Amino acid sequence: MKKSSSIRLVLLGSASMLLAGCGDEGPPQDAKFFSSTEECSSLYTAAECAAAKAEADRFHAAEAPRFSRKEECEAEFGPENCATQTARASEGGGSFFMPLLMGYMMGNMLSGGNRYSQPVWRGTNNQAVMPGKGGSFFGVGSFGSNAATGTSAFRPATQVASVPRGGFGSTATAYRSSAGS
Amino acid sequence: MERLATAPRPDWRAHVERELGFVFHTIDGQPYWDETACYRFGEAEIDAIEAATGELEQMALALVDRVVAVGEEAYTRLRIPAAAWPAIEGSWKAGAKNLYGRFDLRFAGDGPPLLLEYNADTPTALFEAAVVQWNWLEAVHKTADQFNSIHERLIETWLNFGIGRDPVHFAAVANHTEDEGTVEYLRDTAVQAGLATQRIAIEEIGWDGTRFRDLDNAPITTLFKLYPWEWLVAEEFGAHLLTGATRVIEPPWKMVLSNKAALALLWEMAPGHPNLLPAALEPDAIEGRVVRKPIYSREGANISVLDGGRVTAETGGGYGAEGFVYQAYAELPRFNGNFPVIGSWVVASQPAGMGIREDSTAITRDSSRFVPHYFA
Repeated sequence: MKKSSSIRLVLLGSASMLLAGCGDEGPPQDAKFFSSTEECSSLYTAAECAAAKAEADRFHAAEAPRFSRKEECEAEFGPENCATQTARASEGGGSFFMPLLMGYMMGNMLSGGNRYSQPVWRGTNNQAVMPGKGGSFFGVGSFGSNAATGTSAFRPATQVASVPRGGFGSTATAYRSSAGS
Repeated sequence: MERLATAPRPDWRAHVERELGFVFHTIDGQPYWDETACYRFGEAEIDAIEAATGELEQMALALVDRVVAVGEEAYTRLRIPAAAWPAIEGSWKAGAKNLYGRFDLRFAGDGPPLLLEYNADTPTALFEAAVVQWNWLEAVHKTADQFNSIHERLIETWLNFGIGRDPVHFAAVANHTEDEGTVEYLRDTAVQAGLATQRIAIEEIGWDGTRFRDLDNAPITTLFKLYPWEWLVAEEFGAHLLTGATRVIEPPWKMVLSNKAALALLWEMAPGHPNLLPAALEPDAIEGRVVRKPIYSREGANISVLDGGRVTAETGGGYGAEGFVYQAYAELPRFNGNFPVIGSWVVASQPAGMGIREDSTAITRDSSRFVPHYFA
């Protein structure tokens, strides 16, 4: 036998799920990252911190993406960034994989003045990602390293310095060609 | 080997788009994936193609060894710029692993497979060969076999590449559907091997003076690039890539094989080999009809067929400034007005499978159709 015995794809076709670019989605300007209610309590009251954490936990449990296979989850969120969970009996039981909850973004909504809280997961490349519209995600910053946790490890996305780009690609443009052969 | 007319699956377009994410089955309104026909081979024919592929790859590796040993004179004949020589030598002597390559073969079942050219650096039509024709086989000829374990071998190769926890960045030219599709497929196989991955456009790669950086400014430590080495080294950031700070797949030593002057050097190394066509860098060295190919050219551009110095067929394009290689003309087999070329794959230098491109002319181009195969 000279043919592959089985083929499946984890990124292409029906298996695919897009990690959305940043676009105009994002947390309110004043939103801050906390990994625990203790860290939160330096800026907010204990009751506000507890409510924000509960809201993020609730969202995480109900809305975080679920994968039947670990590698599918890791394809989106990176190696060792996924945890196994057992589904409730009311959801049909069984186990699945979901991204690790690293903490939550919390701030005042731009309109309405309500507290705002959303879970933050670790994505590939130690990106900090937050749920967006329609099952998409966007980056809100990064964590210092794969092992790093806590607020001190979090770097907000706005501090990215500019690096010269565009030093590759000019020949393909000149030939208006595929770069394959 | 025979060409059979077959009934396409009624819903194949929707099926391959939805299930496989194969979106470039039709290019500029013309069919690219074509399942109105297929090629059927006998087992002995497939064995011959597989054996020839393994032997050609061993010869190709022996040629790299020879070129590195000879040095300047050989690099000059291959039109490789001096700035790239240390990276070629360094990566070869360090045993830098390679992922894949595609030998284009003339085969008709009437003699040994003949090497037309070797796409050692940026081969495409990979997803079509590895996945789309396999998926077709499962639906149409489930009990038949196919020379195609490309998918399994790619995953296996990533497992043995010795890549650590840092992500592999997969780069293609921006907004090029086929190139992006090929690279996204390779990224899929890397993910299945447990590697961390990122995608980036070749134009988006940043250089901060010390390291290559992605769009999040994370360092790029391993780069898969579907972009020719000869273009990279000539561009603004090219010199930085030759320092070895970033591991590149394919490795720099593939520059020896990805240019068509290597065909002439292969013939010098193994004259008369049954899988090689006579080839030379001088126009008059080969008698009879010859094919003139630019040393660096892509997608069948700037190819001429010469008969006694007279051009009898040619394709256009903007290549050829660096010179040409001349190869004895081998008549392609013709099936019902179609000229097939076998694209025979190596993964980690092992024969892994094949795909067939078919054209209505004797020069295979980017518009040639991909036709599936099976053997029994």
